[in-house]
Amino acid sequence: MIFEPLELGVLTVRNRILRSSVGGRFDNYDGSGTPVRINWDLRFARSGVGAIISSNAPIHPRGAIVPGYAHIDSDDTIPFWRELGTRVHEHGCPYILQLVHAGRERILPFLQWEKGLSSTNEAEPLNGFPAQAMTLAEIQEVVEMFAAAARRAQEASLDGVEVAGANGMLPTQFLSSGINDRRDAYGGPLENRARFGLEIVRAIRKAVGPDYCVGYKISIQERLDELLPWLPKGNTLEESLQMCRWLEEAGADYLHVSAGGGFPHPRNPAGEFPAAQIVKTYDTMLSSGKHTFRNYLTFRTPPFNRAFGWWWTRPLRDREVEGINLGESRAVKQVVSIPVVVTGGFQTASVIARAIERGDCDGVTIARPLVANPDLVRHFEQGLDRAPRPCTYCNKCLFSFVEHPLACYEEARFDSREEMLREALSVYEGVEAPSEAA
Amino acid sequence: MSAEAIFQPLRFRNLEIKNRVLRSNVAGRLDDYDGGGTQTRINWELKFARGGVGAIVSSWTAVDERGKIVPGFAGIERDERIPFWRELGERVHEHDCKFIVQLAHAGRQRDVPTVTFAKGLSSTDKPDPLHGFEAERATTADLEEIKRSFASAARRAREAGLDGVEIHGANGYIFTQFLSSAINDRQDSYGGTLENRARFLLETVRAVRGAVGHDFHVQVKISTTEHADAFLPWLGKGNTIDDSVQVCRWLEEAGADAIHVSSGSTFPHPENPAGEFSLEDMVRTYDVMLSSGVHTFRNYLMFRLWPANQVMKRRWERDPAEVPGRCLPDSEAVKRAVAIPVIVTGGFQQASLIAGAIERGACDAVSIARGLVANNDLVELFRQGHDLPPRPCTYCNKCLYNVLEHPIGCYDESRFASREEMIEQVMSVYTPAA
Repeated sequence: MIFEPLELGVLTVRNRILRSSVGGRFDNYDGSGTPVRINWDLRFARSGVGAIISSNAPIHPRGAIVPGYAHIDSDDTIPFWRELGTRVHEHGCPYILQLVHAGRERILPFLQWEKGLSSTNEAEPLNGFPAQAMTLAEIQEVVEMFAAAARRAQEASLDGVEVAGANGMLPTQFLSSGINDRRDAYGGPLENRARFGLEIVRAIRKAVGPDYCVGYKISIQERLDELLPWLPKGNTLEESLQMCRWLEEAGADYLHVSAGGGFPHPRNPAGEFPAAQIVKTYDTMLSSGKHTFRNYLTFRTPPFNRAFGWWWTRPLRDREVEGINLGESRAVKQVVSIPVVVTGGFQTASVIARAIERGDCDGVTIARPLVANPDLVRHFEQGLDRAPRPCTYCNKCLFSFVEHPLACYEEARFDSREEMLREALSVYEGVEAPSEAA
Repeated sequence: MSAEAIFQPLRFRNLEIKNRVLRSNVAGRLDDYDGGGTQTRINWELKFARGGVGAIVSSWTAVDERGKIVPGFAGIERDERIPFWRELGERVHEHDCKFIVQLAHAGRQRDVPTVTFAKGLSSTDKPDPLHGFEAERATTADLEEIKRSFASAARRAREAGLDGVEIHGANGYIFTQFLSSAINDRQDSYGGTLENRARFLLETVRAVRGAVGHDFHVQVKISTTEHADAFLPWLGKGNTIDDSVQVCRWLEEAGADAIHVSSGSTFPHPENPAGEFSLEDMVRTYDVMLSSGVHTFRNYLMFRLWPANQVMKRRWERDPAEVPGRCLPDSEAVKRAVAIPVIVTGGFQQASLIAGAIERGACDAVSIARGLVANNDLVELFRQGHDLPPRPCTYCNKCLYNVLEHPIGCYDESRFASREEMIEQVMSVYTPAA
C-alpha cells in the first residue's frame, strides 16, 4: 500500500510517504538559499520518499518565522529554488514548496518590523510575540504575495505549492475563533474567518493555472486550551471540516492534516518536553515576546519547567503519538473527495499501510522520524516494519534548531555522542568554497 | 598636511603595507555553523579592501572546534578550509590590500558555544565571572594540542597565500586567561609568576614561527592593561602596563614581527570597545547569551530590568576618558620597550589624531573596527582631506550588541537618512549572493 503512487491533482507522488516541512536555519539572514539547504533536502530525495515538502519558505521577510530559511519573496530567489529542484529531481523526487507567512508567530523577528501582522492586535499568548491587526489593504497585499510566490515556484520548475495554513501561521490566525477578534468581513462567523485562507487558494490557483499542484495544510484540532488553560479551544471539528469543504471548492488539490493553533503544540510535534534542552535554547527567544520574565521562570527554572512539561504532555496520556491525527484525517476524508495526507509521528510501516487501507488518509507526511532515519523508506522497502533505531519523539531536534543545526540530538540513538555530533554536522559536508560570483 | 604620516608605507620584517590603517578584527555571524566560509564573508572583507585600508586583520578565526567563540565565523581548523581562505585572499589582494588571519581560541570565553563541547578549556576551572561561562582547567597535554592547532592554522594561512597571522592574545580569550593575574590560578609552570603565565603564549608564538618559517608575518595582539575590576569591583585588577611591557619584550624575542595593543580582561569590556552601553539593544539580544553561562538569573535581572540595568550602564560607562586613542599611552610604553612595529586599536577615526600619534612615536599604525564599520571608506576620506568623516562613528556600540542575532553593520539610526537606509546598509553584505 505504501509503495503505490498517489495523485495530488496533476502531480504524481511516487509513494505514500512525503517528507513534511522540516529544516534548520541553514540559509543566510537575508533569505538567500545556500548549498547547505540543498544538502539537507537531497538527503531525503536520495532515500526514496514520495515527495518532499520544503521547509517553510517565507513569502515576505515580515512573514518569516526565524532568520536563516530561504525565502521565495522576490524573483531573485527563483534561481536558487530552480537549482534545488533540479538536484532533487535527479533522484526522481517531486518537490512541493511550502509557502509561509508567520503573521505574529515570529520566534526571532528580523530587524525591520517590530510587530508581526495578524488578524488581531493581541500578542501571541505563549511567548507574547507582538501583533498588529492587518488593514484590508494589507490583507489584499499578502494574498497577492502568496500568488506571486506560487508563480515563482512554478517558474522554478518545482512541482507544487502548499499553503502553510496550519500550526498558528497567519491563515490560522484568521481562521481560528480563538484568535481572530475582527469585526469586519474577515472576522466573526466561520465564513468570514475562512475568507483569508480561501482567497489565498483562489489567488494562487489563478496565478498558476489549473495544471499545478496546490495543497493546503490545516490544523483540524486547534486546541489552544492545551497550550495554556485559560485560552479558548479554537475551532470545533465541524468548523474545520467545513473549511476543508470550502478549500476543495476553492481549488485545493490536496489537504494536509495537522494539529494545534500554535507551534509548537502538545499535539504537534507530539511527544516529550525536553526541559534540559529548552533551558539551553529558549533564552534566545525570550526577547522576541513580552512574557520574558514569566517564561524565564516557566521554561528555565525548576520546578516550573517540570510542571509545564507535565502540562505539555497531558494530552498524550490517552493518545499514541504515532497517528495522533488519524481520527481527524478520517473525518476530513469523509467530507472531501481530494486526497488527504496527514502528519503526526508516523514511522511504522504497518500503521501507515493500515491507515491508508482503512481510508483514514491517502498518504502520510513525516518530519521527526525522517530526521532520525532519513532512509526510513528504504527500511520499509527491505521489509522492516520500523527502523532499528526509531525516533523517540524526544523533540530535542525541535528545541535545538534555533541555535544549532537541525538534527537528531537523542544521544540514546547513537553509539556515542561523537557519532551524534558527526551526523548533526554532516549537512555541511561537501559545501564548497564559494566561487567568484559574476 | 597633517594626514601625511598615515599614507607612509609600513615595513614589517616580512610584510609591507601601503598605509598605516589596518582594519581590526571585527566580525559577524556570516558563515556556516560548522565554520565553513561563505560568499557573505568575502563581501564583508571586500568592503574594507575597497575602502583603502593597508591591511585587513580577519574576523576572529578559530584554530579548533572547542575554541570557537560563537557559531557562524569561518574557521581555519582544518585543511578543507584552505580553498576558502585562498579565494578570500585573492579577492582582497586585487585591491592592493594585505590580509592577516587572526588565529584565536576562546578558552572559556565562548559567547554562544557550539553543540560540540559543554565547557571551554582555560587556565582555571572557575567560570568567567560576568556571564558564568563554564571552564575546564587545561592539562599540559591540552596545551600541547592547542599549540599544535595554532601552528597548523598558521601553516594553512601561509598555504592559502595570505600575508600573515595574528595570534589573538588579547581581550579575555585563552591567552589572556593565562596571562592575567586576575584569572590564572594555576600552580604549575603555566601559573604563578608573570614568566609562568606568559609561557603558554610564548610557546605558541614559537610553535607558529616553527610552522611558518622566518619569512612569514606573525604578529601578536595583547591587552596591555587588563582593568579586570573595571566592571565587577570584587575582581583583581589583572596585569598592568608594566607587566605587559615585559611580555612584549619576550614576544619580540620569541619571534613576533609586531605587537597589536588592545585593552581589557574580557570582551566586551568597558575599555574595549569603549563607548556607550546600549541598553535597548542589550535587552533585545543579551538573552541569546543567557544560557551560555551559569549566571543566568542574575544577568537576566541585571541586563534586562530597570533600575538594575541603569546601574550597570553607569558602571560600564564610568571612565570619562575620551574614546579615541584611549590605548595610546600603553602603545607608547610598548614602543619604548621593543624594536618591532606597534599597532594600536581604540576608537580611531580622526586623521590628525592618528598622524600625530605616529609622528610622535606613540605607535606605528592604528587598527580600526567600529570606525570602519560606520565608514568603510574612511581611508579614502582621509585621502580626500577629511580629518573626520562627515558622519563619524558615535561609539554607540550598537554594532556590537546586534551581532549575535543580526548581520554586522552600523545600527546607529542617527547616522542615516532613514531607518530603511540603515537596514539597506546592513543587508548589503549579502550582495552579491554566492
